Amino acid sequence: MKKILFTTVLLCILLSSVLFSSTTLRMIQVFSSPERTKIIENIIDKFEAANPGVTVELISPPYETAVSKVNIMMSNEEPLDIVEVSDWLLSGLVSMGSLENMERYITHSEQAKYWVDGVVEAARTVDDTAYIMPNAIYVKTLFYRPDVLEKYNIVGAPRSMGEMMAICQYITNGKDQYGFTYRGIDPVNFMDLVLCSFFDDIDPACMYKTASGKIIFEDSRALEGLKFYLDLYHKTSPKDSISWGFDEQVNSFVSGLTPILFQDPDTTALLNYLLTNGVYKTAPLPVGPGGKVYPTFGFGGWGIPSYSKNKDMAWKFIEFFNLPENAAYFCKQYGALPVDSRIYDQDPYFSSEVFAGWAEMFADPETYQITAYPIDNEVWGEWFRFQGDIQERLLMNRMTPEKALQEFTQFWKDAGI
Amino acid sequence: MPASKNEKGAKAPFSSSLETRPFRSFKKKSRRFFFLLALFIPTFSVIGFLTIYPTVRGFILSFQNYTVFNIRRIRFIGLQNYEKVINSGDFGLILWNTFLWIFFSVLFQMLLGLGLALLMRKPFKGRGIYTGFVFYPWALSGFAIGLIWRWLFDGSFGIINDILIRLGFIETGIGFFSDPTLAMLAVIIVNIWYGIPFFAIMILAALQGIPKDVYESAWMDGANPINSFFKVTLPYIRPVLVNTILLRVIWVMNFPDIIYAMTRGGPAKATEILSVYMINIVFYENNNFSKASAVGVIIISLLMVFTTFYYLISNTKKMEM
Repeated sequence: MKKILFTTVLLCILLSSVLFSSTTLRMIQVFSSPERTKIIENIIDKFEAANPGVTVELISPPYETAVSKVNIMMSNEEPLDIVEVSDWLLSGLVSMGSLENMERYITHSEQAKYWVDGVVEAARTVDDTAYIMPNAIYVKTLFYRPDVLEKYNIVGAPRSMGEMMAICQYITNGKDQYGFTYRGIDPVNFMDLVLCSFFDDIDPACMYKTASGKIIFEDSRALEGLKFYLDLYHKTSPKDSISWGFDEQVNSFVSGLTPILFQDPDTTALLNYLLTNGVYKTAPLPVGPGGKVYPTFGFGGWGIPSYSKNKDMAWKFIEFFNLPENAAYFCKQYGALPVDSRIYDQDPYFSSEVFAGWAEMFADPETYQITAYPIDNEVWGEWFRFQGDIQERLLMNRMTPEKALQEFTQFWKDAGI
Repeated sequence: MPASKNEKGAKAPFSSSLETRPFRSFKKKSRRFFFLLALFIPTFSVIGFLTIYPTVRGFILSFQNYTVFNIRRIRFIGLQNYEKVINSGDFGLILWNTFLWIFFSVLFQMLLGLGLALLMRKPFKGRGIYTGFVFYPWALSGFAIGLIWRWLFDGSFGIINDILIRLGFIETGIGFFSDPTLAMLAVIIVNIWYGIPFFAIMILAALQGIPKDVYESAWMDGANPINSFFKVTLPYIRPVLVNTILLRVIWVMNFPDIIYAMTRGGPAKATEILSVYMINIVFYENNNFSKASAVGVIIISLLMVFTTFYYLISNTKKMEM
């Protein structure tokens, strides 16, 4: 009798521990904003409802300090199961040995079969190994304001850099109308985009090298491109755009002060909120004298810390997050290009006029050649500031373009690209 | 102190137990010592944990190669971080910017704070409310102030430019942040606005402590308001001024909030001071906390040198007076 009672009690304990066991996943995002947090929380709610006993705890550090926070948490092996990794953060975390190799998950994932071109390569940026599951793509395109341009009898968007300069100069009156929305703070993507459009042989694996392996800043075409870029500031942009970041750029574009803007897809969410439907449009980036332009393939994704104790559950959440309906919701609300090709067919929003610029660029990979930054180089973080400082000196005529290019060349020679 | 008086009383020559007296006294003294120590421990623990430990840790870090990506291979690298900071090519400019930032900020904060305190010295109707309005900038966050003023000074959408245009002083907006001199001027103006209340509070308190009869005597001796100010007011508030200036120099040097929010040290490092440089190293150089710590040690060293000379000079002047 005693034996039966003991066994029953033991079974009850075991059964209840199985039934009531709970798992808490701790995840951290890096591109935090109140709106984005709400979007992710909605997906978390759905996941928790579909997986009783699993709780997902979202950490949303302020955007400015998020990268440091991730680095510090991962270095100290603080409890984390899912970490958002931007392309610029990836190599650092991999070199620290903090990210789990996700090949075993991704190779068996049904979703990976539907990834758009470039996503596989993006996931395997470092050591040709997938350390993240990409959740969004960021490629720059041209945003323009037809209503402002039409006032000057200009129809459509400029197709080449030369045409863009002509339009911007034409409409600039130096008072309350300018052409180009210049980016003064953190200008890396902007300066390079214009400068590289003067080439026709950029290395698809590294934006700062030509196909023959030469550093682009040593080439005379770089000087042409840099002078052109400086002219955009001096001749077509407000003077104070030297200190403009993302907020000021959007503000200027929305007000119509500068109707031409290069930006990432996440700008669409903000513009959709600030402008009525159809007031802005997107078009492919203008091509340079070489007939090409070289946008970079930015991406973000979810990784799993190598020390996580809930790796399989973390993967389950990541897969859930990337399901077409969830990924479409995330990308539409936040403003990003989905990695899953099915979404572009299923959701009419992603084939609407807002995405015309990207659609045309992706359809013509010969003209719009995707390239990559040397983000796996350890000086990448320093380069960001270095190029920004030199740009400011150039804009204030404290340095010549020739000297700037020498400095850029030396920087990358020292870095060994 | 009453306790020591009692102890002296216990040493009476006609005590009944002469052998145990020194032992008792020692016991009492040690008990008192431990009691005092127990009182000090919480304070010392807090100071030690919040101030001394981070300072010592920062000092050690400045001789290491600590970055977030290098957390498991930390070693001592001698003076390399200091060499990198000093030989960076912009160190001279950053030092000069730091001097300009401190000198003009503190000078005008003091002059305007003094003027404000003199105006508020005499009672008037609604002084309390007025004082509250005057002092409110001091209660705001430096970073928030920087963000607000950044938009006020904006070259295209800023209210300041808008007012100047509407008044007909200018035709197009001034690019405050596109010109190195104007950028420095802008951040200093904001810092002055922010720091005036502190000087005003301190000086007003000192002014209220000056006896009225001193002024009456001065007037009877024929002193005019200017003489009274220099011969009576200034000497009385001098100790407060000396200490407040020193405090403000230390705080302003360690106050990157406004500059960081407004310009991040730009354009072309025109507004980069040492504390902003320190933050930029952390954010843009792979979280290089060691190099940033070296800048921190340089800041502390400069402040120590300044404080020593400042007190030497102010004490000499005091003796001369």
